[in-house]
Amino acid sequence: MNVLKPALVFGIAASVANGAVDFAHEVVPVLREHCAKCHMEDKKKGGFSMNTRELLLEGSEDGVVVEPGKAEESLLLEAVMSDDKSDRMPPKGPRMPAADVDVLRRWIDEGMAWEPGFSFGEAAYEPPLKPRRPVLPPAVAGREHPVDRIVDRYFADHGIDRPAPLGDAAFIRRLTLDLTGLLPQPADIDAFVADRRPDKRARLIESTLGRNVDYAEHWLSFWNDLLRNDYQGTGYIDGGRRQMTRWLYRSLVDNKPYDQFARELLAPPDDESRGFIDGIQWRGRVNASQTREIQFSQSISQTFLGLNMKCASCHDSFVDRWKLDDAYGLAAIYAESPLEIARCDKPTGRMAEPKWIFPELGTVDGDAPRPQRLEQLAGLMTHPDNGRFTRTIVNRLWQRMMGRGIVHPVDAMDTEPWNEDLLDLLATRFVDEDYDLKKALAFIASSAIYQSESVVTEEGADLAVFRGPLAKRLTAEQFVDAVWTITGTAPGKVAAGVPREVDGPQDGLQAKWIWSASSASANIPAGEAVVLGKELFLPSKPVDVRAAFIADNAADIFVNGTRVAREDGEASAPIARSLTIGNFRAGKNSIVVVARNGGVDPNPAGFTFEAHLRHDDGELQVVATDDTWKWTSTLPDGNGRFARPPFDWQAAEVVTDPKVWTPFTAGLSDMMTVGGVPMVRASLVPADLLMRSLGRPNREQIVSMRPDNITTLEAIDLANGEALSGLLKQGAVNLARPGVPVPEMIDDIFMQALGRRASAEERALLQQGMGRRVTRTAVEDLLWLVLMMPEFQFVR
Amino acid sequence: MSLPTSIPNRRAFLKALSASSLAAAMSGAPRAFGEEPVMHPEATADCCILLWMAGGMAAPETFDPKTYLPFEKGLPVERILSTFPAIDTSLDGVKISSGLEEIAKLMDRATLIRSHVQPDLGSILHSRHQYHWHTGYVPPQTVAAPHIGAWMSRVLGPRNPVMPAFINIGQRLEGIGESEELKAFTTGGFFGSEFGPFNLPYPDEAARSVRPPEGMEAGRFTNRYKLYRKLVDGSPNREFMSDYQQESMLRSMENAHRLLGSKEKAAFDLSGESKETLAAYGEGRFGRGCLLARRLAEAGARFIEVTTEYIPFVHWDTHENGHVTAAALKREVDGPIARLIRDLEDRAMLDRTLVIIASEFSRDMMIEGVPGSEARDQARVKSDTLENMTHYGLHRHFTGGSSVVMFGGGMKKGHVHGATADERPLIAVKDPVSISDLHATIFTAMGISPKSVFDVEKRPFYATEDGKGRAVKSLFA
Repeated sequence: MNVLKPALVFGIAASVANGAVDFAHEVVPVLREHCAKCHMEDKKKGGFSMNTRELLLEGSEDGVVVEPGKAEESLLLEAVMSDDKSDRMPPKGPRMPAADVDVLRRWIDEGMAWEPGFSFGEAAYEPPLKPRRPVLPPAVAGREHPVDRIVDRYFADHGIDRPAPLGDAAFIRRLTLDLTGLLPQPADIDAFVADRRPDKRARLIESTLGRNVDYAEHWLSFWNDLLRNDYQGTGYIDGGRRQMTRWLYRSLVDNKPYDQFARELLAPPDDESRGFIDGIQWRGRVNASQTREIQFSQSISQTFLGLNMKCASCHDSFVDRWKLDDAYGLAAIYAESPLEIARCDKPTGRMAEPKWIFPELGTVDGDAPRPQRLEQLAGLMTHPDNGRFTRTIVNRLWQRMMGRGIVHPVDAMDTEPWNEDLLDLLATRFVDEDYDLKKALAFIASSAIYQSESVVTEEGADLAVFRGPLAKRLTAEQFVDAVWTITGTAPGKVAAGVPREVDGPQDGLQAKWIWSASSASANIPAGEAVVLGKELFLPSKPVDVRAAFIADNAADIFVNGTRVAREDGEASAPIARSLTIGNFRAGKNSIVVVARNGGVDPNPAGFTFEAHLRHDDGELQVVATDDTWKWTSTLPDGNGRFARPPFDWQAAEVVTDPKVWTPFTAGLSDMMTVGGVPMVRASLVPADLLMRSLGRPNREQIVSMRPDNITTLEAIDLANGEALSGLLKQGAVNLARPGVPVPEMIDDIFMQALGRRASAEERALLQQGMGRRVTRTAVEDLLWLVLMMPEFQFVR
Repeated sequence: MSLPTSIPNRRAFLKALSASSLAAAMSGAPRAFGEEPVMHPEATADCCILLWMAGGMAAPETFDPKTYLPFEKGLPVERILSTFPAIDTSLDGVKISSGLEEIAKLMDRATLIRSHVQPDLGSILHSRHQYHWHTGYVPPQTVAAPHIGAWMSRVLGPRNPVMPAFINIGQRLEGIGESEELKAFTTGGFFGSEFGPFNLPYPDEAARSVRPPEGMEAGRFTNRYKLYRKLVDGSPNREFMSDYQQESMLRSMENAHRLLGSKEKAAFDLSGESKETLAAYGEGRFGRGCLLARRLAEAGARFIEVTTEYIPFVHWDTHENGHVTAAALKREVDGPIARLIRDLEDRAMLDRTLVIIASEFSRDMMIEGVPGSEARDQARVKSDTLENMTHYGLHRHFTGGSSVVMFGGGMKKGHVHGATADERPLIAVKDPVSISDLHATIFTAMGISPKSVFDVEKRPFYATEDGKGRAVKSLFA
């Protein structure tokens, strides 16, 4: 028997009897107050337990105690109303107040409604607090990934067939959208599909997570929802609320370890990250459960622990074990002055004591000044034994990647996961990997189950049983980013407060083709290797580095003794590759490139590279191959390090005739984007009507899951709303180049939007609908048609 | 037109048309609480039109006139209760303020509540009081509270399945002050956007909301959708789209295009109205909104709000020059409201349509400004006597007693409920009606139990706060 398990009970009808007693709010407190000592949990005096409706109706050793609809005839009512002290219930203490008796009478007469699943007894499931290292079942069919070993066992136990593996094109689309929120580029899809290396998926996961800015600008929305951070809204104009965008953006670009991330939010080292604990100062009088102190209690519980303190903010919770004093204990840690406990908005006269909710981890010193109390709280929250903290975040990540939480809803972390081992595996590994969010995502993404086809679910299917990944609806930001990408209609400016700079290098790429000799464009022996190097001194660690290169034919690139990229040169022609580099540091840095010519006979050889380093102060520094680079024939070790510094460093030469590479270099400048600044993302601008309509929330409340269905009102907006139709119209102007054959246009848009080419049938249908010529209206309609496909609107 | 009104029919429609609402329930928060069957009261109205006097309509200047004193330099401010004389109405012995002559002729059909009271939320932000009035809950709330229109949409659905259930006319949500605060309650809340408002800020342009996008002729729009259906059905990935979420998306697209291709969409287009009708409703956005509301009510909408529009310090938010502003506003609302009532009556719709005139609070005469203070004036300079015309009017927020007028929908005809004091403070002295009880009355008329409840985040959330709202039975005919 469970204490309320709402996740299992669904219905669409509004219920409730007219004028009926409210079981949870009226009856439960009365029974609990007067009967619990003898007839609840493990107590059943006289053989009478009131834990459940069934037990209550079963009665005592002496027979029936109460029947629905018959209050006046019931023993229960007789006992509580009795004037005879020896018969009266409860036997000790004052008699039950008349108002309470009346509640019971009405409740019995109305049929004794009971919350389904509710019990006064202990919950069958009490989530463990400590981390636990699960024992992994043996691998099945060569699936060694720990996640798969657990999932395989689960599937076997439940008689569920494993979903089929996901194809390459679908995988790159899913992965790129899940990790960066962006669609993969058609060229990247083709290259990935054509790639024959067995570890290409692992490489893709790594390189995708290496796109620090794209990653940050996607996950910004996730955290904005969880931290109630926005660019505008209640409180911002009158100083009642503080933006955390700068801190959050940089934390994500830097992939700040999550324990440190949480500590900086809970015990802010400066004003940049204090917006979360300060919450919203509402103007005017607010309910006692909405003061800043209580908001703090609710917010830290929900965001970091997946725990609902909202009930307990007003009264002892009826649905879980949290009490009014727990909510106020947390609030008092934050409170700057003595905090009086209010019950249901009425002052109780009792003062709150600073108190942490899991005493087994330690306590907060109530006498310490506030900054110290917050420090202590941050320490307890991120305590190695606080498995609740890590389980909560890995469950959120799993939900984002797989469509549904291991515990679901994700903020009901006190309910049972569908697999405890899996949750614990992810949580303990997360700690082992130093709270690295990207590694946690990579761990999930590298499992065979993530790389499986999404499961088709039917209406009313029992989603509590795991069958595989679920299709996920594009978020408002993903949808808008995709439209902006495809149509080239992104706005030029980010919102105030986003630490992203818009000025890029003005005159295209600066990178030159270099080699050991300027004649390299002509004939360099096949297999010749040269080592190219550059030392640079940086004023600060750059906050973001985007880079791209082309090697003719192969290259290993090392920065400060760590490999950051490898091009094996197996492709038939040189290909532009992009990368982000996270290990530049303040002071001296070294770039070492081992470049090799390919082919059989002597042929052109060259290497070109450009990196855009964004510094803290917004300054953009360009590092590009030119004649300031050096070369040596001394090969470094596998980490790009030299046992002894080579003594034969010479100046590299700019290749005199780079025209041989002209067909390939366009890709390079595309990767670095126009002006060196990536497209403005939807997450970086205030919500407009379109995003709002598609589910970007008003961030006055914490939101941990966006709506996953597309409603009729949204469909109306998509069908004729000005915002979208304006973008499509502009997009058609941008895309409708005369002379492009219609089939090519169709394939182009299909590739961008869906990651695949149109089928013959689709092409025929569309060509028929569009006519022979590429007109603006035809392109506009084509864009709309493709963007409205469920295949586009869902990540599957 | 025959419209579904009973709950079983509504269910059938919901099931057939909007499985996405089921998806909403499946996907997270809302669910019915408890296991009792639905026991809603029998409805006395099928449709509700809320005429919202945004910014705080002063009751003594409208439906609850007090002693009138004309402007006179040097007059002590404390003596002024009303700045308009009272006029007779069609209801014997009941007077309302001059400037409302057309409505006065209809007061024999009205139920007038003069004792509506609100809690004082610090008297600051209008939007907080408006949030309270529209959701029944004082902000802030830990979950997004649904608008009363969303409750009707959620529990009852549209009367005509083609129509959006909840339509909001006349309020811009972008580019005006406190817009974020307005958006916070102009919402389906935790019910989700399926039950949220269909916003029509400009009544004259409402037709555009149900027309193909600008520059697209109807034929192209229709063909586009036909091609879309073929494309979806012919997709090599059709099997993935059999997923219920994706099917529900396709149903939503179908519903949207059904409205956009329906005959009901004509209801959104005011251009078909006669010159006489257009003139009667006036040029103003509020008047046009009333006309649009009538057309949408005829076409089967469930809940329609028409607002004079809230903009800080504009319209009913009279912090200075109150008399002149109130006179202008009364000119703007009097004719259209009266015409709306008559039109509904002529179409035999008034009996089943509940029309409500309400505001977030009332106002009282007082000049409280000091030079240079931020609250833009309060008539510029604090003074205990009238020194110039800008002082003359009701400027101070007042929550102790305001007026609500209701027509049709099962309410009594020619009835006055409650009263306020004749001398300052003009608080309700008889039968006060709280927001909870007023909502309970409205919900009851619409056939929704005030105790209707949904579970969100494991807590019950009721149609009226804590399920405690009690309908004012004496208002019902």
